[in-house]
Amino acid sequence: MAERIEILISGFGGQGVVRIGQILGQAAVYEGLFTTMLISHGTETRGGYVRSQLVISDEFIDSPVVERPDYFCAFSAIAYGMFKVLCTPQSLILHNPDLVTPDSALSARHWAIRAESLAERELGNAVFANVIFLGALSSKLKSISSENLVRALQDRLPPRYHEQNLRALELGRSL
Amino acid sequence: MNGMAGVLRRGEMRDVMEKYVRPEKNPGTACSGCGLRLAHRKVLEAIDELGLGLGDVVWGTGIGCSGRQTFVTWKGDTFAGTHGRVYAMATGLRLALPPEKRLILTVGDGDAFTIGFLHLLNCARRNVDMTVVVFDNLGYQSTGGQYGVTTPLGSRTDSSPYGAWEPNWTQGGFDVLRILKEAGATFLARHTVLQGHEPVESLKRAIRNRGLSLVQLIYPCVTHYGAQALGTRDLAKIYDWFRDRTVESIDADSSDSFTTGIFHDAVGSRPEFAASMREFVASVQKEGNHG
Amino acid sequence: MKRTFDTGNAAITEGAILAGCRLFSGYPITPATEIAENMSRRLPQVGGFYLQAEDENAALHICNGGSIGGLKAMTATSGPGFILFADPFGWAVSSEIPVVIVNSQRVGPVSGITGAPGQGEFYFSRYLTHGGNYETIVLAPNSVQEAFCLTVRAFYLAERFRTPVTVLADQMVTDGWETLIIPETDEEFRGMGLESVPRRIHPGPEFYPASDAIDIPPVVLGHNTGAACSDWTPTDRGHDTEDVTWQHKHAWRLIHKIRNHRELIDESETWFLEDDPEIILVAYGTPSRVVQSAVRAARKEGLKVGGIRPISLWPFQDALFSRKASYLTVELNWDGQLVREVQRAAAPGSSVHFWGRCGELPSVRELLAAVRRLKEGKALERDGWRTEAW
Ligand code: SF4
Repeated sequence: MAERIEILISGFGGQGVVRIGQILGQAAVYEGLFTTMLISHGTETRGGYVRSQLVISDEFIDSPVVERPDYFCAFSAIAYGMFKVLCTPQSLILHNPDLVTPDSALSARHWAIRAESLAERELGNAVFANVIFLGALSSKLKSISSENLVRALQDRLPPRYHEQNLRALELGRSL
Repeated sequence: MNGMAGVLRRGEMRDVMEKYVRPEKNPGTACSGCGLRLAHRKVLEAIDELGLGLGDVVWGTGIGCSGRQTFVTWKGDTFAGTHGRVYAMATGLRLALPPEKRLILTVGDGDAFTIGFLHLLNCARRNVDMTVVVFDNLGYQSTGGQYGVTTPLGSRTDSSPYGAWEPNWTQGGFDVLRILKEAGATFLARHTVLQGHEPVESLKRAIRNRGLSLVQLIYPCVTHYGAQALGTRDLAKIYDWFRDRTVESIDADSSDSFTTGIFHDAVGSRPEFAASMREFVASVQKEGNHG
Repeated sequence: MKRTFDTGNAAITEGAILAGCRLFSGYPITPATEIAENMSRRLPQVGGFYLQAEDENAALHICNGGSIGGLKAMTATSGPGFILFADPFGWAVSSEIPVVIVNSQRVGPVSGITGAPGQGEFYFSRYLTHGGNYETIVLAPNSVQEAFCLTVRAFYLAERFRTPVTVLADQMVTDGWETLIIPETDEEFRGMGLESVPRRIHPGPEFYPASDAIDIPPVVLGHNTGAACSDWTPTDRGHDTEDVTWQHKHAWRLIHKIRNHRELIDESETWFLEDDPEIILVAYGTPSRVVQSAVRAARKEGLKVGGIRPISLWPFQDALFSRKASYLTVELNWDGQLVREVQRAAAPGSSVHFWGRCGELPSVRELLAAVRRLKEGKALERDGWRTEAW
């Protein structure tokens, strides 16, 4: 039985939208799953948004378009504003309440993660916020093991960043 | 050149022509009396004097009178490019050819100095091993006679009926060869085809250079430039005009003359592009895959 | 077998290298830049040459030059660079020289939108140079894996047919990330249905015979064969001629060496065509992925819908449209291109419709809505556009 998981990640350029999609996608491939990720870019330098549309499935994925995200990582208020309309009552929206104010009219579930301040407090730098989000998101994805996630992260990031990012991942997974 | 010398040279011409030119393409497509045949022969003489055979040279051509005259004349391997792009093609070809093969391109002034100039400049920048011989007929003659960037100022042509007035690259303090020198070419010379053996000597040095060489060979167009700009089809008069205009010095004032000689000889001063490329690739392979 | 998660750009690079590409020349342009970057890293590792050209015109000419020297060569670009290929593409077509061109279609005309997908070069890829008198091969991948396989295929067909082959991708295929399987041995390569032929050398000095034969080695210079290679109308010895008889023979060869070997080129995927479809959705490239989902969803709803995806775009596969039906093409442009060709090819009595958009993919929901409207005999509209008015 095909299980199709749709994940939308969006924010400003430089927030790791593509990078964490790559790690997640790579981990899914290690699991033997099919994965697609569409990147929309070109506007990030002009203060717009970057969007990764990720689909993970145990069979060939026909449409790679995320129409009803199961998970939506909203890294910025602009991104949240753009894509919240796609969310359904089944959607889980991961967001940082310091940056994004949830729309109370939405039926989707919200999960507030103060990733930036957590990253700063625990790791000394807010740049690890996106990996904390990745950790949190991945803890919901039963089909992706933590071993493969770690392997994918090590594959996609230069060795000198491994240690802190692995801690960020753990932080996120334990939320 | 007078009548006597002409007869003598025609005899010689047959020899190098027979040796190197496909019989069905001899004597070629140029109008009768055109200096283009002399120009073509100069290149063959240089090849001959260097002792090169058919297998030593790959010959490419551009578009225009020069392209038509020389296209698929070489009995060895030969190709014709699109207008102005033969330099880019030759760059790719150079990477594929064995380094010892000589790559000679015969092109026109329009091909090299206008439509193809961007590509030529980049060949000079890279110092790609090829010899570009520009058969300069002082404008666009194969299309019926329009001015170009080597047309003397004031010349009447079909597109400058009041006399060419646009700045060109040979007068007013400009010299197209200087631009090529700045771009990195390693051998540059200019001659007229009426200068006997001198152009052949320059061509020999150009062909031997493992880098970007260019020899500008100015020749008289009888049918268009002669008739339109000089007001005559009389060979003797046209040749006289050429001789009067030729100065045997490359540094002389060019406002009313063809300055001739070796403009820039930096043979061996810069690495050649294909050789550098091969070295670079070998070094990446030796150091192992970093990807 | 190497299983990775990577982009179409990476897939195209690896496909080219496995197919024997040893010269890449290009000019940076979004969204094809990454192919150039990958090539600059990968080619030296395998002894190949990466050369950044002064413009796209030069890039393809450099590839042509490398190819007549015996190197398998490729360039990659997007719309604004693709238009500069008219000159060298024509040269390669007429001189009958293998070369591979990748175009990642973005939104146009002119600069348009750099990082968003379009499909505006459907006809342009067929008529990329002037003068007519030729046939050409264009392949259109809709996934990262297929971008890999079709790049290998493009090199294979280019060699056998002595001609440029275009891989017409789009920004979603080249920038998109997906599972990518790369063979690591010859056996795995063949096991994936991939084929490759080495460059062979035309013995010269005669030019190609006036026939539709393929598998004649292309002209390669530098081997002392007395080979002549040019864009002028050739005689049987490769010389230039102004003789219309020779021109006709040349044109006939250019056209029919491809048209008479369609079995090597034609490739397509269809959905529910044998299940009596009344409405058939047609798309190539990334939109075809959404179409596939929409067709399945429609069938679940009990709608008699089918789908056609041409994989080889040119020569156009008329035979795919021999069923009388209501056809709906789904394209990433607002003007309707594929739809015109479908209308020409569709069986008599068919009706042909168009659903277009540019810069982003349609959703399954939107396509289902269009299908329902068609079924009710209503005109297709979107945001106040009469999308039917193509
Ligand atoms: S048009 Fe002029 S340059 Fe051309 S071949 Fe005739 S005489 Fe020579």
